[in-house]
Amino acid sequence: MSYVEIPLVRLAGAALLIAIAVAVSRRRKLDLEKDLLVGAVRAAVQLVAIGYVLVLMFRSESTWLVIAALTVMLVVAAWTASRRVTHGPGWRVLMPRAALAIGAAFCVALLPVLAWVIPVRPLLSARYAVPIGGMVMASGMNVVALTLERIMSSAHQRAVVIEQALALGASPAQAMQPIHRQALRAALTPTINSLLTLGLVQLPGMMTGQILSGTSPLQAVRYQLVIMYQLVAVAAVAGTLAAWFAQRALFDDRGRLRRFPAAVQDGGKHGGS
Amino acid sequence: MQDQRSPRLRVTGLHVRRGDRVVIHDVGLDVAPGETVSISGPSGCGKSTLLRALAWLERPDAGRIEIDGEDAETIDPRAYRRRVSLVFQEPPMFDGTVADNVRFGPRLLGRELSDSEVAALLRQVSLDPAISSRDASRLSGGERQRVALARSLANQPRVLLLDEPTSALDPEAAHGVIAQIRHLACDGLSVVAVLHVPEHARSLGDKHLRMRDGRLEPEESTA
Repeated sequence: MSYVEIPLVRLAGAALLIAIAVAVSRRRKLDLEKDLLVGAVRAAVQLVAIGYVLVLMFRSESTWLVIAALTVMLVVAAWTASRRVTHGPGWRVLMPRAALAIGAAFCVALLPVLAWVIPVRPLLSARYAVPIGGMVMASGMNVVALTLERIMSSAHQRAVVIEQALALGASPAQAMQPIHRQALRAALTPTINSLLTLGLVQLPGMMTGQILSGTSPLQAVRYQLVIMYQLVAVAAVAGTLAAWFAQRALFDDRGRLRRFPAAVQDGGKHGGS
Repeated sequence: MQDQRSPRLRVTGLHVRRGDRVVIHDVGLDVAPGETVSISGPSGCGKSTLLRALAWLERPDAGRIEIDGEDAETIDPRAYRRRVSLVFQEPPMFDGTVADNVRFGPRLLGRELSDSEVAALLRQVSLDPAISSRDASRLSGGERQRVALARSLANQPRVLLLDEPTSALDPEAAHGVIAQIRHLACDGLSVVAVLHVPEHARSLGDKHLRMRDGRLEPEESTA
């Protein structure tokens, strides 16, 4: 074994680090002690549970189990991306669209990589598809959430400008063009920033993990680069699709802008303005 | 050739609801080619909503809108909005110069207006063509309204819908704009204008209508 195992007793000892934050909270009267303790326990329970699930999946090597795990991840990612959108048609309308955007980005960014760049067999091997798929979906989730929220809230704030463009003969796509451009730039910028600072400001978690587990740093770097390139593709595909879906939700079949009240959380309604 | 006696714009049985409230109630309206119709009424009576519905920006719950005998439902919305153009009460300016704004509509079709065409449109709304290079975001309220009018005219509409076109103008400029609109109507443009100043409504409209609780009623004829 090329890494140092962590005994459970020492893991429990590491949890004492939380006590520092609790002490700071108590001394400064931040009233965050309960949140810190609940957070620490929840993180431990969730991670230990997923650890056992991964052990089970690695042992069984069942492709169906991997597909099931990826599906659960996709549903949670889509729900998270769509539930906080203000001035939108509600999460029930947005969630299937968010799932399509994240799912399409997942297919574009992950499957060719597993087929050719990291040629694992079977294609959906749990050891590769679940952790890399998880990173890809988390990134897709953030991009879709950001794009949906930005487009919906911009369309609400700038409804008069959009309707003015429509009144002059613009199509919904033409009227939304400046908002789309801003939203996609905003969605892609964090990924581009992390590309630019990779290795200078941050050593990414995946690479650090591989190095700690005994992988050659040069191989770990290759894996990390593949992931980063994937995340760029995810941002582009998920962002573009999310923007397109947002636009479809914003206009009726005759190109009229729909108005949505703030923070509709129960979805389903598509009433005109 | 369009029969001069048949209406340019015909509205029948138009209803618009917002939730449980009926905002526009069974509105019917005929506007002939070159005719100017002014509509006045208290705030919140549905005047602006009517114009928005006529401009295809508001979904009617019932009724029919025809332009030159064609059912609006059968026309591409973009083409319809070029033919029936709405000028907002507080029209937003797009980024760029006044000329960029005037060129906006034709540009969507890939046509670039020449400098002289832009100047002619600005003159039509009593603006000095020298304004064309100014940043549109720095215009006064009155200048915005007139640039917005020129911007709509650049699409060569058949019907012009004006929401309070004189609200940001001083009396002299308001009379100038009313005279310009009447001049445009002489060239065959049909105009439906919402005006809250009775004097402006009377001097603009061949036909003067009053709106009350979403219903359109004839008031008086000044023709």
